[in-house]
Amino acid sequence: MSMLAAFGKLPTLNSATILLVGTNDIFQQQLAETILKEKQDLKINIVFFFSHLAASLPLPVERDHIRPRIDLIVFMINIQSKYSFEDIEASLIHVDANFFLGKVCLLVTGVGRMNQISVDMDAIWKLADRYCSPVLFCELECEKVRTVTAQRLLRMLQVCAGHVPGISSLSFSSLMKSSIDDSNYMA
Amino acid sequence: MAEKLAKNFSLDKQDVPSGATTMLLDSEDPKEQLLEECEEIWKQVEECQNRLTLQDVETLPDSDLKLSLLIKRFKALTAEFNQWQKRTPEIMTRNSDVLVALGRDQLQKLDHELEMVLSTVNAKNKKLKEDLIREQKWLEEQQQIIDCLNQTEEEMSNQVVYFSEKRAFQELKSKMLQIKAYKEDVLNALGDFLEEHFPLPENSGTAKKKRHSSEEQDVQLISLHEILENLINKLVNTPHDPHITITASFWSPYIELLLRYGIALRHPEDPNKIRLEKFDQ
Repeated sequence: MSMLAAFGKLPTLNSATILLVGTNDIFQQQLAETILKEKQDLKINIVFFFSHLAASLPLPVERDHIRPRIDLIVFMINIQSKYSFEDIEASLIHVDANFFLGKVCLLVTGVGRMNQISVDMDAIWKLADRYCSPVLFCELECEKVRTVTAQRLLRMLQVCAGHVPGISSLSFSSLMKSSIDDSNYMA
Repeated sequence: MAEKLAKNFSLDKQDVPSGATTMLLDSEDPKEQLLEECEEIWKQVEECQNRLTLQDVETLPDSDLKLSLLIKRFKALTAEFNQWQKRTPEIMTRNSDVLVALGRDQLQKLDHELEMVLSTVNAKNKKLKEDLIREQKWLEEQQQIIDCLNQTEEEMSNQVVYFSEKRAFQELKSKMLQIKAYKEDVLNALGDFLEEHFPLPENSGTAKKKRHSSEEQDVQLISLHEILENLINKLVNTPHDPHITITASFWSPYIELLLRYGIALRHPEDPNKIRLEKFDQ
């Protein structure tokens, strides 16, 4: 079984690559567009991996040679769909352990309408805890939140790609994680 | 550790070319020098990368996933920490031309940012001044309102008539006496009117009537006046149950009269009971 390797390729100059994994829905595509619209000094590559039913990582092998090195993987879980959660769960297994040193993030979407959720919040917390990865929440249908989320992801991407002097993805994610733990205790 | 190194180098690399582009016009020599240095760093990056690719991709274990991840994180963090301890800040190049250009570049950047801050602060200042003027105007208006209200209060306090309990009591008493007298008058007038126009049936009773009454064991009939008085008293004394029962002493034509002209009402369930029309409602 092929894996998604963290350090398989040389980094590209002045660019960073984010991998979005999620079910193919319009708002997630809009998020990708918003990320690209944000003004940046460096070139942002976005690799989509929108799984359909019963499809999960790894990425297809045939175009591997033209794909740049991936700096950050964002797993998008639509909280209103059980399938998306199961897909992400299955996809996580195919990720190189080195990615979990701060280069993975779970993005929970669709939290705007809590009455329509079909994925238990506990399950998400457990998954995040298991993989030592931070969780972000957002409602992609709202344009402002989408923009803010895009900015947050870009900032994380900059850190993960090593463009922020003095901070590594690992120390950054450790900081993020402790804040999530704190909020967990309060809840 | 190796990853860290690679990252640091890639960092440095990324900083240098931005300075290098501004250097293009200055001279050819520093540019070449810079490029050479870049090449060197890039070689180091490639070396690190080669070492990294030798590492196998690590599969996640099924059991104790969290533990193994945490151990991995711990190791990496420790390595990073050691790296920071050992690392000495290094000058990327000793070429003064490059350094000057880079410094100028950064100063220009800083200048631009500071200008932006200045314009923002100015705009904010202007807005605050406007706010202040508006607030002052508002304060003035409020002050005027307060003055106005104070004046009104003074005027009002001059006009206050002191309320006397005794006097009010006297007034109420005299009013009550007046009303009582009026009521007496009205009742007397009613009695006179009734006596004149609706006398007791015996006085004008026909033979037929007499025969009737004798058949009914010669009951003492009462006048319309008395019937009305009964009705009124009943209504006043027991407002919750104002009905009275029609007895043989009520002359039926008078009952008919009262009912027909809407002075009395029959009980909705018991035809033998009547009450006074609800004039008070």
